Amino acid sequence: MGTTAIRTEGLSKRYGTVDVLSSLNLEVGQGEVVGYLGPNGAGKTTTIRLLLGLIQPTMGRAEIFGFDCHRQPVDAHRRLAYVAGEASLWPSLTGAETLHLLGRVQGRLDPAYRDELIGRFDLDPSKKVRAYSKGNRQKLILIAALMCRSELLLLDEPTSGLDPLMEQAFRHCVYEARDRGQTVFLSSHILSEVEALCDRVGILRDGMLVEMGTLAEMRHLSALTVEATFDGSVPDLSRVPGVRSIEVEGQVVRCQVQGTVEPLLKVLAASGVHELLSREPSLEELFLAHYGASSETETPSTHAS
Amino acid sequence: MLWGSVFGLYLATQALAYASTYKTPAARASLVREFGSNTGIAAIVGPARDIGTVAGFTVWKCLAVLAILGAVWGLLAGTRLLRGEEDAGRWELLLAGQTNRRRAAAQGLAGLAAGLAALWAITALITVVVGRSSKVNISAGGALFLAVAAVAGAAMFLAVGALASQLAATRRQAAAYAGAVLGVSYALRMVADSGTGLAWLRWASPLGWVEELQPLTASKPLAIVPIVGLTIVLGGLAVHLAGTRDLGASTLPDRASAEPHTRLLFGPLGFVIRLVRPTLVGWGIGIGAMALLLGFVAKSAGIAMTSSPSLRQVLSRLGARGNGATAYLGVAFLIIAALVAFIAAGQISATRAEEADGRLDQLLVRPLSRTAWLTQRLLVAAVALLAGGLLAGVLTWIGAAVQHSGVDFPTLVNAGLNVVPPSLCILGIGAFMIGVWPRAASIATYGVLAWSFLVALVGSIVGLNHWLLDTSLFHQMASAPAVPANWTTGMALATVGATGAILGGIAFKRRDLTGA
Repeated sequence: MGTTAIRTEGLSKRYGTVDVLSSLNLEVGQGEVVGYLGPNGAGKTTTIRLLLGLIQPTMGRAEIFGFDCHRQPVDAHRRLAYVAGEASLWPSLTGAETLHLLGRVQGRLDPAYRDELIGRFDLDPSKKVRAYSKGNRQKLILIAALMCRSELLLLDEPTSGLDPLMEQAFRHCVYEARDRGQTVFLSSHILSEVEALCDRVGILRDGMLVEMGTLAEMRHLSALTVEATFDGSVPDLSRVPGVRSIEVEGQVVRCQVQGTVEPLLKVLAASGVHELLSREPSLEELFLAHYGASSETETPSTHAS
Repeated sequence: MLWGSVFGLYLATQALAYASTYKTPAARASLVREFGSNTGIAAIVGPARDIGTVAGFTVWKCLAVLAILGAVWGLLAGTRLLRGEEDAGRWELLLAGQTNRRRAAAQGLAGLAAGLAALWAITALITVVVGRSSKVNISAGGALFLAVAAVAGAAMFLAVGALASQLAATRRQAAAYAGAVLGVSYALRMVADSGTGLAWLRWASPLGWVEELQPLTASKPLAIVPIVGLTIVLGGLAVHLAGTRDLGASTLPDRASAEPHTRLLFGPLGFVIRLVRPTLVGWGIGIGAMALLLGFVAKSAGIAMTSSPSLRQVLSRLGARGNGATAYLGVAFLIIAALVAFIAAGQISATRAEEADGRLDQLLVRPLSRTAWLTQRLLVAAVALLAGGLLAGVLTWIGAAVQHSGVDFPTLVNAGLNVVPPSLCILGIGAFMIGVWPRAASIATYGVLAWSFLVALVGSIVGLNHWLLDTSLFHQMASAPAVPANWTTGMALATVGATGAILGGIAFKRRDLTGA
């Protein structure tokens, strides 16, 4: 104990006959910033609600800092803060009152830090919640979660409804949290956000964790995109080991390389290559590869975990 | 549909029950003597006219109750459709389509009017069918007019609700405005009928107009003019205002900002108090006013009641003793009991709404256990019920003391506390439902309340099967102050409630949180 912030073992949730989450095994160490990706309905929110003990697992268990999420929710909650994608708050309270209340219920209140966050997110706390826009309500629950500096931040699509400026302020806060040693579990489908913030990424599909690793690892397992421009005739690359998805456009060849690039380089060097560009796959390409939206999913090796 | 059936069946049971209970002309004549000029009863349900006939009795027994039930339905339905939908953001989707605010509001009202027509049709159908029975013998035309009178309250308060929805900024606020109009209407009608020479005040109250229709007895179709007029004017005004205001905004000024008041926000318990305070203050005013009025009319009503032999029989069946005022209050406190129970049902509904609307998540993801949260909600509600009962007792005493009714303070405080156990039982049933079947908690709780009230109300006038009577929580309660409060039954009811709450709490702890 002490080093593991989140641990789940065979965590499953079934509604009727639908498996919303099947046998999730997840481990997040203290101080890590982990991204949790998946399209709508993949089970991201279900996972977080299970971690919060708001719903009960059909099978398996989950722990937060060694406390069972189901049996010891209060102990677990003392060490975490949560931001939902949609903020349901009490319309008759003002922003300041809401923050005061939620701080008191959390049991930790740092007025100076709270006021700093209010300034950073540019929120007018004297307004009543019912007069706030969706974005402002979202800011309010973000501030409420960040202001108590909990050891673990569970964020479920926390930036929905925020403008790019506020999105930037949010990222800044997450960097700060990481520097303070807080653990962050960020569920999102905004890939650039996850790419910018997270050390590790898990990809969820139909309730199953299909990929979990650092971005570097995932890129390594994935194909590299190579674009070569030739002086003379274009060589036939289709026999080169590891090369696929070849597209030829005049003198330019684009292809994907799986594993080592050495065989390709040998062929290219022999064919008078004029210009060579290579690029790692973006998280977006990795993500799309897992959802069959791109054509490069035939290779089973990308699914190694 | 449900409401229509309730309306129709209520009219039908009253007519049939009367026909079978007061079979002989003599029995009916004595009933007329007892109730015909009883201002205390008149203040509550309206003046008795021609109650020697089935028709007259049915009208007298039903109209006031149905007008109020209908008005409550109307204002809830009106504010829910025209403001609740907007609060929930669904109106926005509708307005994004090929319509505008005015047309959408008009269509919403048209939908409500259709619902009202259905209510009338079902009520009329049942009344016509029952009216054909030789025992009851109400003409078809009379039955149709009776049905009009029965839904008139619903029509007017649908329009009141629609207008309040345009004036206020939230559904709750709108319902509060409409509720206040209903409260004032009832109070005006009550004063008009309490024999104080202010009978003209009846024309100042929408509920008074319903009474002036006098269906079956001395039909005055002219009284329908203000009813229809008010409905159309308010409805039209609502549609007009819907077009002039912004979505989500109110017509009356609404303060979007406020100074923070954090005195009660020290923790979850204080927060519950802060959340429910406005509602409870409203109920307190309502119950207090009602209790004061009941106490005020108790003496004259009591004298009328005890001077009739057959009514004394009824009272002795209830085990009543003491002077006339206590006997009258023993029957009238059923209304206080129902009002206090309404607080219980409302609190269950509000508790469930916190979960259904997702606000509860914000508390339960923090170090607050579900058990602690639910316990605090129920605790605040239970204290409110106790306070409601006490308030009723004390204010009835004040009202009675002004008239020198000779009912002493301890008796009335006891009578006030006597209405608390059935409400605690309803609260417990609601808590149980929150644990095991949250989506049905609100409707089940209101259902138990409505059933208990109707059975006890009918049972207080005519003989009902005792098995049926026993299903009413209010029947279990002793008719204090007419008889001494029965604390054994009280404890039993409270224990049932506590058991329900504990079981509900255990189930609530183990289940998933569920949205609406």
